[in-house]
Amino acid sequence: MDNILEIKNLITSFASDGRKERAIAVNGVDLAIPRGKTVGLVGESGCGKSVTSLSVTGLLAENGRVESGEALFQGRDLLRLSEKELRAIRGNDISMIFQEPMTSLNPVIPVGVQVAEAARLHEGLDKATAKARTVEIMRKVGIPEPERRYGQYPHQLSGGLRQRVMIAMGMLLKPDLLIADEPTTALDVSIEAQILRLMRDLQRENGTAILMITHNLGVVAEICDEVYVMYAGEVVERADVFTLFKSCAHPYTRGLMGALPRMTPKGQRLYNIRGTVPNLWAMPVGCRFAPRCEFAAERCHGEKPPLLDLGGGHLCRCFAPRGLEDEHHG
Amino acid sequence: MAKYITKRILVTIPVLLGMILLIFFMLNVVPGDPVTVMMKEHLKEDVVANLRRSMHLDDPFFIRYLRYVWDAIRGDLGVSWKLSRPVTGLIATAFPYTLKLALSAALFSWIMGIPVGIVSAVRKNSLIDHLSMGLSLFGVSMPVFWVALILQNTFKGTLPVSGVQTWKGYILPTIVLGWSSAGRIARLTRSNLLEVLREDYIRTARSKGLSRLKVITRHALKNALIPVITVMAIQISSLLSGAVITESVFSIPGVGSLAVSAIKNRDMPLLQGTVIFTAVLIIAGNLVADVLYSIIDPRIRVE
Ligand SMILES: Nc1ncnc2c1ncn2[C@@H]1O[C@H](COP(=O)(O)OP(=O)(O)OP(=O)(O)O)[C@@H](O)[C@H]1O
Ligand SMILES: [Mg+2]
Repeated sequence: MDNILEIKNLITSFASDGRKERAIAVNGVDLAIPRGKTVGLVGESGCGKSVTSLSVTGLLAENGRVESGEALFQGRDLLRLSEKELRAIRGNDISMIFQEPMTSLNPVIPVGVQVAEAARLHEGLDKATAKARTVEIMRKVGIPEPERRYGQYPHQLSGGLRQRVMIAMGMLLKPDLLIADEPTTALDVSIEAQILRLMRDLQRENGTAILMITHNLGVVAEICDEVYVMYAGEVVERADVFTLFKSCAHPYTRGLMGALPRMTPKGQRLYNIRGTVPNLWAMPVGCRFAPRCEFAAERCHGEKPPLLDLGGGHLCRCFAPRGLEDEHHG
Repeated sequence: MAKYITKRILVTIPVLLGMILLIFFMLNVVPGDPVTVMMKEHLKEDVVANLRRSMHLDDPFFIRYLRYVWDAIRGDLGVSWKLSRPVTGLIATAFPYTLKLALSAALFSWIMGIPVGIVSAVRKNSLIDHLSMGLSLFGVSMPVFWVALILQNTFKGTLPVSGVQTWKGYILPTIVLGWSSAGRIARLTRSNLLEVLREDYIRTARSKGLSRLKVITRHALKNALIPVITVMAIQISSLLSGAVITESVFSIPGVGSLAVSAIKNRDMPLLQGTVIFTAVLIIAGNLVADVLYSIIDPRIRVE
């Protein structure tokens, strides 16, 4: 299969004040995104979804560092490129939509100018052409009165509009890959559906591949072709979206499934998994999920399960994977 | 915008009146009858009484306050007891010296402080960062008269160390007065810029492929400098009032020197005039800072 991005064995660490060793936030992640497809990356807060995406684009915080791995994009390893080479790719071939629409836009620059910036930089457009193009994409993502909105500042826009501005920014240059980190969290359900439809339309139009990072399995069902489930810095399950919803195999994924948003009041992130994500400094030696797993056996606490192929590219990191349909038989 | 500014100016009026009241009160409870000060106690009693009446010294405090304010509005701050000349005229003669000194010190502190702060932030923890932050801290924490003495000794012979007969006379006083402001601005610029560089929107800017230089100049600097500009405007007024020591050390005939001589001679109208004049400058500086802030920061502008 033709992958637009192939992440192999990515390890990312952070330095922290007062400690000698570094915290490993992403521990050997493999992830492939087929050209033009949408791949979901799901998992509880703090499992390393954002860090994975930031590692690939070289946008980690100052204390972060990629320890090893590869990220092949159009035949080049992004992790080995110079800052200058990466800059030519960022915003042009790979765009990002960030998690926080409230803080991800510059408060003192008009939103239109912020959207147009990438076009002026990468395609050398003059101000007027860039503006025309920006207004067009702003209209496309459903921003009413784009000419007027162009000159407004972020604080003059609602959360939904700001999110659309971010999406316009991500879509403007028709990137080969769009990394969307929780692009719909701040939005209510109807706007969320609208935005997802929009992203799918733009994807169809431009052949953009999307890495969709989310907590929300509803979003995954809506838009993704394939899904990676992360837990504590590692991929614990990978499947195409039908297999995942029909017969997910990892106890953690099944826990997540039990907390589909349609079953919980909006805005809540309830999981019917007991306990919490392990601390980066105190990772369990065996299976990282074992302390919270209701099926954990002795072996799970002492030995780390490999990522096994259950057939057809359905991967699962568990000694005793099971399908949803087994549930009633114990 | 015009509404905001008008509102800001109107709010200033009661502040001004209250401030004059406070200064007036403090200076009027100080013992020392002006008539005895002026006449050196060689006077007959009825002459004293007449004089007191003509100076309205027997009127109730509040009446005297109102009269002072009314006169002040028309530009009359009374007559210096010691020099027998109108206080307004004395201040008008002295102020240009103070203004020149304060403005050049302000300019010095911006030209030094902002670039140094930026370079320190961009080259965080480098030698140049440590060096400039050390010098800044030195400027902020050393007493002005001490810095003045050191500079006077160091540059004796090369630069004038007393008086302002030529522009060169302003060089050392400018550095002395401006150093601590420069230090404060450099430190503020540095810490603001470092903070802004950690913001989410900086990552957004980088994700578009902008170079580090463009990220800093287009996305970080304006956000980082907004608070600095406010501080700068306030600083002009505090430099104007803080020039007292510098003026005395370098024998500059500004408002500060005038106030010092007023204290020495227990010259109440002159002291009151200089203090109120300076306080008005500070309030005006704050007003200008607020207005500037609202012009620069779009978040305030729309309110
Ligand atoms: N700059 C940093 N310094 C230290 N630790 C960090 C830093 N950034 C992230 N981490 C840690 O890395 C881990 C993974 O964080 P990440 O942001 O990738 O989580 P996430 O899966 O995106 O969660 P969320 O759904 O809340 O966005 C967390 O434990 C987090 O505390
Ligand atoms: Mg995240």
